[in-house]
Amino acid sequence: QDYALRFQSSDPAGNPNFELQQAWAERVATLTGGRVTVEMLPVGSIVQHTETQDAVATGIIDGHVTDTSYFTGKDAAFGLIANPVGAYGSPAEMLNFIEYGGGKELMNELLNPYGLQFIGATTPGLEAFISKVPLNGVADLKGLKMRAPEGLVQNVFLAAGAAPVNLPGSEVFTSLDKGVIDAADYTVFSTNHQQGMHDVANHPVYPGFHSMPLVEVSINKGTWDSMPADVQSILEISVRDFARDMTSQLAMRDAVSVAAAIANPDITVHNWSAEERAKFRTIAKSQWVAVAEKSDNAKRVYEVLTAYLTEQGLLAE
Amino acid sequence: MIDLLALIPDLKALGIETATLLMFGSLLLLLLTGMPLAFVTLLVALIFALGWFGPGAIPLIVSRIFSFVNSFVFVSVPMFVLMAAILDRSGIARDLFDAMRLVGGRLRGGVAIQTLLVAVVLAAMSGIIGGEVVLLGVIALPQMLRLGYDRKLAIGVCCAGGALGTMIPPSIVLIIYGLTASVSIGDLFSAAFIPGLMLATMYAAYILIRAYTNPDIAPIPDPGEIPRAEKLRLLKGLVLPIMVVIFVLGSIYGGIASVTEASAIGVLGVTLSTMIRREFSLSLVMGAARQTLATVGMIVWIGIGASALVGVFNLMGGIRFVQALITGISDNPMVVILFMMLILFVLGMFLDWVGIALLTMPIFVPIVVNLGFDPIWFGVLFAMNMQVSFLSPPFGPAAFYLKSVAPPDISLGEIFLALLPFIAIQIIAVILLILFPGIAIY
Amino acid sequence: MQNTEIPKEKTYRPIPEAGLLGRVITRVGDVFAIAIVLSAMALIYEVAMRYGFNAPTKWAHETVIFLTAITFVYGGLLGAATDKHIRVVLIYDTLSPRLRRVFNVVISMACALASALFSWAGWLVVKRAIWTPAGDFRLETSGSAWDPPTPGLLKLFLLFVLILLCLQFAILAINYAKRK
Ligand code: NA
Ligand code: NA
Repeated sequence: QDYALRFQSSDPAGNPNFELQQAWAERVATLTGGRVTVEMLPVGSIVQHTETQDAVATGIIDGHVTDTSYFTGKDAAFGLIANPVGAYGSPAEMLNFIEYGGGKELMNELLNPYGLQFIGATTPGLEAFISKVPLNGVADLKGLKMRAPEGLVQNVFLAAGAAPVNLPGSEVFTSLDKGVIDAADYTVFSTNHQQGMHDVANHPVYPGFHSMPLVEVSINKGTWDSMPADVQSILEISVRDFARDMTSQLAMRDAVSVAAAIANPDITVHNWSAEERAKFRTIAKSQWVAVAEKSDNAKRVYEVLTAYLTEQGLLAE
Repeated sequence: MIDLLALIPDLKALGIETATLLMFGSLLLLLLTGMPLAFVTLLVALIFALGWFGPGAIPLIVSRIFSFVNSFVFVSVPMFVLMAAILDRSGIARDLFDAMRLVGGRLRGGVAIQTLLVAVVLAAMSGIIGGEVVLLGVIALPQMLRLGYDRKLAIGVCCAGGALGTMIPPSIVLIIYGLTASVSIGDLFSAAFIPGLMLATMYAAYILIRAYTNPDIAPIPDPGEIPRAEKLRLLKGLVLPIMVVIFVLGSIYGGIASVTEASAIGVLGVTLSTMIRREFSLSLVMGAARQTLATVGMIVWIGIGASALVGVFNLMGGIRFVQALITGISDNPMVVILFMMLILFVLGMFLDWVGIALLTMPIFVPIVVNLGFDPIWFGVLFAMNMQVSFLSPPFGPAAFYLKSVAPPDISLGEIFLALLPFIAIQIIAVILLILFPGIAIY
Repeated sequence: MQNTEIPKEKTYRPIPEAGLLGRVITRVGDVFAIAIVLSAMALIYEVAMRYGFNAPTKWAHETVIFLTAITFVYGGLLGAATDKHIRVVLIYDTLSPRLRRVFNVVISMACALASALFSWAGWLVVKRAIWTPAGDFRLETSGSAWDPPTPGLLKLFLLFVLILLCLQFAILAINYAKRK
C-alpha cells in the first residue's frame, strides 16, 4: 500500500451525503488495487469545517470533500465559483462547467497556491427552500426573515428584499419551530424532510431556486505531485463517477420525499414559475458583479464563468 | 528546542490500544499533580500530537482552540453567568429564597426541591449547561447553606439540577445528535422531555427520602409567627424573578428570540429588576462583568483542552479504534448497546460532552440503526448518558463549573463525593430508559 | 450548622508570583469585562430590530461571536495570572511546602513550554490568515454578507494571548523558584 489517506467531509456521519462519500472512498481502494486507501472522517472530527483548507495544505489531513464556499473568507473567488446563485438549472450544467468549461483549471489556479490540488467536484444538487409561509415568487421574499449561510446566497437574498438572519445550522430547527425566522436555506429536500424541517415549516419550495453548492474533492498538492500518473487518473475518474453517483442518488431520494410531502395534507410543496425563477436569477447576477470586484481571482472566476454560460446559451441577456 | 522534541518517544510504534491507555493514564496522573485542568488536557494533546505525528500536527490544536471559542453556541454561557453575577450582587436571590422558604412551608427539603424546580425552569431556557450550574452555584448554593441545608445535598442539587439543561429541550446535545443521525430534532425534543422530567422527579424523591430519614440535613425553617404584612413583603420577592422567567421563556416560545439570544434577554430582565429595586449602579454591572470574565475563562478553557485532545485522538485513528472495539463484541444487540453505554461512561470520566459527541456519535449511530433500534430513543439515551458524564469524576464539568463559583472551603473532592448519589440516580435512569424505551418513544 | 457566605465583591486579583505582567493582565481585563456587557446589548438590539422593526442587523451575531471569543481566550490568560484555573489539589494539598514549591515550578514550566509550542503553531496558523499565498496582506474574513475580518483578527489575538500565556507561566516559574 502506497497511500493511506485521511479525508475530512463537511457532512455529519449519519447524513446521506456522508454515506455516499464513504462509498466513494471504498471504491478508490478497489480501483487502485489497494494502493490508495481513503479514510473518510465526518465533519469536525479533526478540524472545524472552515479550517480544512489549512489542514490539508499543512498536511494534518490529506484531503477534504467540502463546500468550497466555506473558504470565501480567504478569497471572494471561492464564494463566487462555489455558488454562483442563479447560474445553473441542473447539476449537469455545473459539472459540465467544471469538466469541460474551464472550471477545473480555474479551481486549480485558485487552490494550487494554497497548497491544494483539486481532483474533481460533485454537488448535492439544487437545494430546496424551507418556509413557514407560502412563497410563490420574488415578491413574497420582501421582508422575509430567513436564515442564509455565509457567502453569495446571503447577498442575493438581501438584494431580493429579504431580511437575512445570521444563524448557525444548529439553531435553524428551533428558530423555525418557534418562528424566530420564517424561512431558511438549509440543504436538499430529502434531508430537510428526514430531519423534520417540514413539520415546523410546511411550505417548502421545490425544486429550489437559489443555491447549488460546489462540493470540491481536493488533496494536498505535495501528495498529489508524488503520485504516479495512473493513480492520479484513477482518482480523477473516480470523482467524476462519484458526482454522477451522488447527484443521481440524491435526486432519487428527493423524488421519494417530495411524493411523501405532497401526500401529506399538512405540507404544501410550492414550485416557482419559470418567470419568477428568471426574476430571481436577474437579481442574483447583479450580485456576481459585486463579488467580482472583491479580488482579482474573483474577477477571473466571473469572466470564465460568464464565458461558459454565454457559450452554452445559459445566460440570457 | 529540537533536542527537546527528540526526547518525545515515537508513540505511534505503541499502537492505538496502548496509546489510548497511556493517554488516559497520563491524563489521570497529570490531573493529580495539581496542574490546571485545562492545561492537563492541552499538554496531553500536545504530547500525543508530537509523539505520534511530530511538530507538524501542533497547528491542529491551535485550530481547535480557535474553532471552539469562535462559535455561536457558547455565547449563552457568559450571558447566564452575567445574569447570575448580577442577581448575586442584588438582593433578588436572597429575597427569592426567603419567599421560597415561606412557600415551601413545613415540607422537609422544600427549598432543595424548589431549587430543583428553578433548575428545570432554567433548563427550559437554555440548551447548554455551564451557565446554569454557575447560576445555581452563585444563587441557590449559598442560600441553601444559609438555611442550614446539608452541604453535600445542596451541592448535589446545584450540579445535577444545572446539568438538566441538556436533557430538557432545548438541548444542544440533542441538536448535534439530530444533525449527526439525520433524524428530526423536534422528535428528539419531544422524546427527551418525559425522561428529563423523570430524572428531575427521581432527584426530588431522593431529596425527600434523605430529608425525612435524617431531619438534620434539611432543617425546617422556624417560621415563628410571621405577621401577615411580613408574609406579603416576603412573597414580593417572588414577583421579579417570575417576571424574568416569563420574559425569557416568553421570548423563546413566542418566537421573539433564538435560544442563544434569549439568554441576553435574561440579562436585560435581571438588570431591569435591579433598577426597579433601586439597586442598579454601574459598579454593580462592572463587578458582575468582571466575575463573568473570570468564570467563563475557567469554564471555556476546560472545554478547549478536551476538544483539542479529541482532535488529536481522532487523527491518531481513534474513530476506527472505537469502531473496531464495538464490532464483533456480541451478536446480541442489547449487549452492543450496553457496551456502548460502558464506553460512554468511561469516556465521560475523561472528556467533556463535545469531545464525546464528536468521537462516538459518528460510530454509534450507524450501528444502532443497523441493529434495528430507534435512533430517536438512542438519542435520548445518549443525552441521558451525558448527564452522567457531566458529574462523574475525575473529569466532571458540572463539578468544575460549581467549583469555579463555590465558597473556597468547598473542595473538588467534597463536590465529587456529594455527586455520587446523583450519579447513581442517573445510572438508574439510564437503565430504566433501556428497559422501558416507551418512556421516550411513546 | 454551617454557614458559608460567598464574599460579595470578589473581583479577581493577580497572585504575587504573577509579577508585573500579572498585574497588567488583570488591569486590562476590564476591557473584556465590558465586551461581555456589550455583547449582551448587541443581542438585545438584534432581537429588538428583528422582532420590532423586521430589520435584522447584518452585524450583531458576528460581532457577538467575536466579542465572546476574545473574552473566552483572554479569560484563560486571566486565569493563569490569578491562579483561578480549576485544579485537582487532592495530593498537592498534602505536600510539604518545599515539595509544593517544586511542583509549582515544574507545573509552570510545563505550561510555559506547551504555550511556547502553541505560540509557534499559532504563528503558522496566523500566517495563512493574514497573507494571501502571493504574499499580499489580507485578513481572513467571515465570508458573510457583512464579511468582517473577524476570523483573521481572532487568530491574531489568539496568537498574542498564547505568547502572553507563555510569558506569564515563565514568570510564575521563576518567581515560584525564587520565593522560599
Ligand atoms: Na434545555
Ligand atoms: Na465526567
